Amino acid sequence: MTTATPPKPALRRFVENLRDAPRRVRDSALRSGKANTDRTRSTFVFDNVFLHVHPVRTHRWSLRWSSTWGLGIASLAAFGVTLVTGVLLMFYYKPHPSAAYDSIKDIVYVVPTGRFIRNIHRWAANVMVVTVLLHMARVFFTASYRAPREFNWLTGMALLAVTLGLSFTGYLLPWDQLAYWAITIGANIAQSPREVTDALGVTPSFDPGGLQKFLLLGSDVVGEEALIRFYLLHVMILPMALAALLAVHFWRIRKDGGLARPADVDQRVIDDTEATYPVFTQAPRKTYQIAALVRGRTAAVGRAPENTLPSMPHLFYAELAAAMLTVAVCVGLALLSDAPLKELANPAVPENPAKAPWYFLGLQELVSYSAFMGGIGIPAIVMVGLSLIPYLDRETAGTGEWFGGPGGGRVVAQAALVGLGAALAVEIFAIRFGWLREWIPDVAQLWITLFNPGTVLAAIYAAYSVWLVRRYDSTRTGALGLFTCFLCGFVLLTVVGTHFRGPNWHFYWSPADWPAH
Amino acid sequence: MRRNKHLLLWSSLATLALLVTAAAQENVLRPWRRMQHAASVPIDVRLRQVVVPALGAADRCVSCHVGMATGEPTASGDPTLAPHPDVAHDPNTFGCTVCHGGQGRATDADDAHGWVHFWPAPMLPLRNADAGCGSCHTHLAVTHVERLREGQTLVERLDCLACHELDGRGGTTRPRSHVLDGPDLSRVGARGVPQHWYEEHLTQRTTNIDPAWATSFGPISESERATLEEFLASRVGAPKLVAAKSLFHSLGCRGCHRIGGVGGDDGPDLTLVGERDPGRTDFSHVRGEHTLANWFAEHFRAPATIVLGSRMPTLGLSEEEIELLTHYMLSLRRSDLPDAFWPTDRVRAERLGQREFATDGATLYGAFCAACHGTRGQGMRFAGMTPFPAVGSRDFLAIASDDFLRLTIEHGRPGRRMPAWGVMEGGLRPAEISAVIAHLRDLGEGTGCEPDGQPVRWAQGQVELGRTLFAQHCAPCHGKRGQGGEGLALANRALLAAATDTYLFESIRRGRRETTMPAFGASSAVRPTLSDREIESIVTFLRSFEVGP
Amino acid sequence: MNDAPQSPPSRLDPEAIPRRDFLGRSALWSTAATLAFAAIGMARLPRAAVVSSPSRKFRVRIPETLPDGEPFLPSGRSVALFRDSQGVWAVSLVCTHLGCIVKAQQRGFECPCHGSRFTSSGVVEKGPAPAPLVWHKVTFEGDECIVDEDARVPAGTKVRA
Repeated sequence: MTTATPPKPALRRFVENLRDAPRRVRDSALRSGKANTDRTRSTFVFDNVFLHVHPVRTHRWSLRWSSTWGLGIASLAAFGVTLVTGVLLMFYYKPHPSAAYDSIKDIVYVVPTGRFIRNIHRWAANVMVVTVLLHMARVFFTASYRAPREFNWLTGMALLAVTLGLSFTGYLLPWDQLAYWAITIGANIAQSPREVTDALGVTPSFDPGGLQKFLLLGSDVVGEEALIRFYLLHVMILPMALAALLAVHFWRIRKDGGLARPADVDQRVIDDTEATYPVFTQAPRKTYQIAALVRGRTAAVGRAPENTLPSMPHLFYAELAAAMLTVAVCVGLALLSDAPLKELANPAVPENPAKAPWYFLGLQELVSYSAFMGGIGIPAIVMVGLSLIPYLDRETAGTGEWFGGPGGGRVVAQAALVGLGAALAVEIFAIRFGWLREWIPDVAQLWITLFNPGTVLAAIYAAYSVWLVRRYDSTRTGALGLFTCFLCGFVLLTVVGTHFRGPNWHFYWSPADWPAH
Repeated sequence: MRRNKHLLLWSSLATLALLVTAAAQENVLRPWRRMQHAASVPIDVRLRQVVVPALGAADRCVSCHVGMATGEPTASGDPTLAPHPDVAHDPNTFGCTVCHGGQGRATDADDAHGWVHFWPAPMLPLRNADAGCGSCHTHLAVTHVERLREGQTLVERLDCLACHELDGRGGTTRPRSHVLDGPDLSRVGARGVPQHWYEEHLTQRTTNIDPAWATSFGPISESERATLEEFLASRVGAPKLVAAKSLFHSLGCRGCHRIGGVGGDDGPDLTLVGERDPGRTDFSHVRGEHTLANWFAEHFRAPATIVLGSRMPTLGLSEEEIELLTHYMLSLRRSDLPDAFWPTDRVRAERLGQREFATDGATLYGAFCAACHGTRGQGMRFAGMTPFPAVGSRDFLAIASDDFLRLTIEHGRPGRRMPAWGVMEGGLRPAEISAVIAHLRDLGEGTGCEPDGQPVRWAQGQVELGRTLFAQHCAPCHGKRGQGGEGLALANRALLAAATDTYLFESIRRGRRETTMPAFGASSAVRPTLSDREIESIVTFLRSFEVGP
Repeated sequence: MNDAPQSPPSRLDPEAIPRRDFLGRSALWSTAATLAFAAIGMARLPRAAVVSSPSRKFRVRIPETLPDGEPFLPSGRSVALFRDSQGVWAVSLVCTHLGCIVKAQQRGFECPCHGSRFTSSGVVEKGPAPAPLVWHKVTFEGDECIVDEDARVPAGTKVRA
């Protein structure tokens, strides 16, 4: 570089700049070049708007498959798939009762890739519900909701609610019989507080149930207004809510110190010295005064062995793999099975049986006894109970471990038996002998609202977990038992509602036994 | 990390394989693509459709049946390029599903033909294709099956088919001679039979140089001309539907079933029975395939085995009649149509109140009465039901005044199976009831009822004597309290209100020949003859039923 | 970059990424290929094979009384039909400038949007229209014409029954 070089002619400079433009564009986009040193690997993460929510280094514990089974990423991937396919479906979908059904028919029959994309959308939505539920179970069973992660458990609950809401609102859009009657039932569950206000005789002056239903449907019946509302919720309000909550959720994972780990994690991780090398044994180039920004235990400065790995590429391979596996599952299911589309909605002829989406069939099973308790009372109690768990369980033993806490796996196994057994017993009893109304025909509805298979089951579970709390002298053990019981009860009721209920909600051993209309 | 790389590699390869499979399915393997590739003449491989916005039709049937679309090459015998048969309506103006049913938007065979459990309007079977006319032409007017048969016989006898084609027959003896090539008469009724056809034929006969004219056409009597014209008016391009509808209106089905507001109410309303959703129909007792056509056919064979507890009698129909009635059931569809698409028969029927059946006495009797009272008025017996009275009996007609008949038809017999046929109930107009009464008189070979000059109520007998005699002679058939049994219910207030004392008296005295009701006034070897006085007492006793027990 | 070009390998350096990471590369490339293939599939979706709009091929009967050189305008279609001794032809009414529907005038057509003028055979007389009006394909079926608004024929093509 000498200053003596005469300046090149402007035109020449222009031509050279033009030639260099592609390279400069690439350099300006990727600021730090190839990610092959510790530094560039770090900058690769925090220079990228999409990746910077990740930590630069990830603990080995968090990278084990068994720590998370990738369920969070799977949920995100399923959401991504529904988002992409959903936007594509919006090209053709027309949210009006006179056109909705035909537009879905067009998507299925004449739009290139339309049928496949609709199938993927439907399957990804179902996969998302499953992975979100499993993700919640994982977080619970590894006691990862504990301080400082209590609030993230709450955002997770909100995400679950929004996920179910998205799935439910999408159910109406095809405007076929399946959709119409499932939503009619759903809307009447929203109205079910009337069961209580009617019993108390205050409905004319205080009618939260009627208000809820009206807000949901925009009129008294499922019609044009309801369709546009559900469409708005499905494509705009709920996805935006989900995106906002996701941002909070991810941000808090980072700010709460990454994934929960056992206190003695460094002793547990297999320390393969060949692969491991301590980072912070030499004077670090980067100061860690900002460590205070991250709650929890401060970064392990000067400690060995070092158990973190650079996120790039270790974490990203893991995330990408989990995401692609989810996509593969969604696409595979979409290829195997077509999304249902029944006949055009007919408000005069109810489907029999009219079934809600499968994840609500457990509730529908309870609803068949008391609409309010099954549809609102018990779900509300469960949601409140789940939300309170991190604030009631202030213990530390077993954090980050599967079935951690006093009693551990043995309690979970026992609670699973109790949960399934109690649900099975109550169901068998109610199916075999009927319930209050069959015994005392003129019984007041309020008695049924208070005393029905749902409340009985909830009471059994509550009593069992109180017993666990006293037996093990641990809130965590009580919570483990209660959560397991409810999970098992939910699964059992869902199976009964899906497979064993036929026309008029009668019990059948198999759908093949249903009377032919 | 190796594990994650492997997982990423294999799951993305699996996804890629799945996507490639889906792409192949969509772009190569779709049935309509294969159909179009297999066409005998090379054609553009693309989706085709017939769109009729006014009918809400977007029918993609022509993606496989390409030859039926406007301006496409045709080749008969080629499943893809076979042209649509020549029909009154251009399929490209009306679409396909409006006549054939099925799911027009679909592009897979089973979905499009509606052979999937959730499609409520599957395609009509090909042999019932003209039942599809019923979507719009439910109101097509028909006459009694006997009249049609006479017309058909006449056409054969007069050898009209020598020159004219009719319903796919005839016009062959002198193929394409151009001199004697008469117009195809298969759809002559749709446009109207030309007014002066007979005179024109006569003129041709005298002026045309071709000697064939003189030999092949001769004078026809006026009554035969009327029969012929009536028959030709029913040739609207749907011979099977006309035959089916005519049969239905000759078996008296409307006596129990209402269609479009006219008919009895003992059986289900059949107005839209052809649109019934097979997915919501009970096939649990039906043998054979689960199609609506088979349901109807099985039901006609033995109604009570298909619909448990049905009161419809087994009619003992021939297979041909069952096929025709099934055909008519399938035609009862009446789509909602924009006014611009309404055919004239529909406008006349729904806006101007014109009947969709001929209103002569014979047809009316055939449509409304024949099922119970017999095609010749001989009365009917069906297993498990009380017998139906022989209204064509001359003994009955001789004493039943027109007023009695009219009152009976208008008001029916409340509590019995005879429905009320007045405008408000069964939908028959006074003039039509008069035509039915006139036809009844015809059935009784012109038997009239001479007024006897007596007042309506004159019987002054002894009630107690009447009661004893009733218990002895009448109760075995008519029931102890006159509630009916083998004989009809005498304790029916509508009957007693319509019947004069003379009617009751003469019924007992003369009885009814050819029925189980004996003449009690005539001497008999098996029971004592009743005197006029005794019969009068029975009539007086019968009157006590009017007051009630 | 200039910090420690020659210094001994720092313990801060990560475990070396193998130069030939065949597994990692193939995993990433197959992911990229899958996503690209999916993107191609999705890109096909916005272009429907058919849409539920009426066919652009229609059947029409030209009135017997139509004088030579006068346009016949079937309702609901943007086509003018003409007949003379040489046969029948169909001229599109869609302006070649920006797609407005031209109006039939005393002689020829005028576009209401930007004032282009055409003769009755579609030749541009005035205005911004860059090309003459399109002639559509007409075929006879019996005494009815089938006009295909999707098929164009060279100007001057007249057909006879």
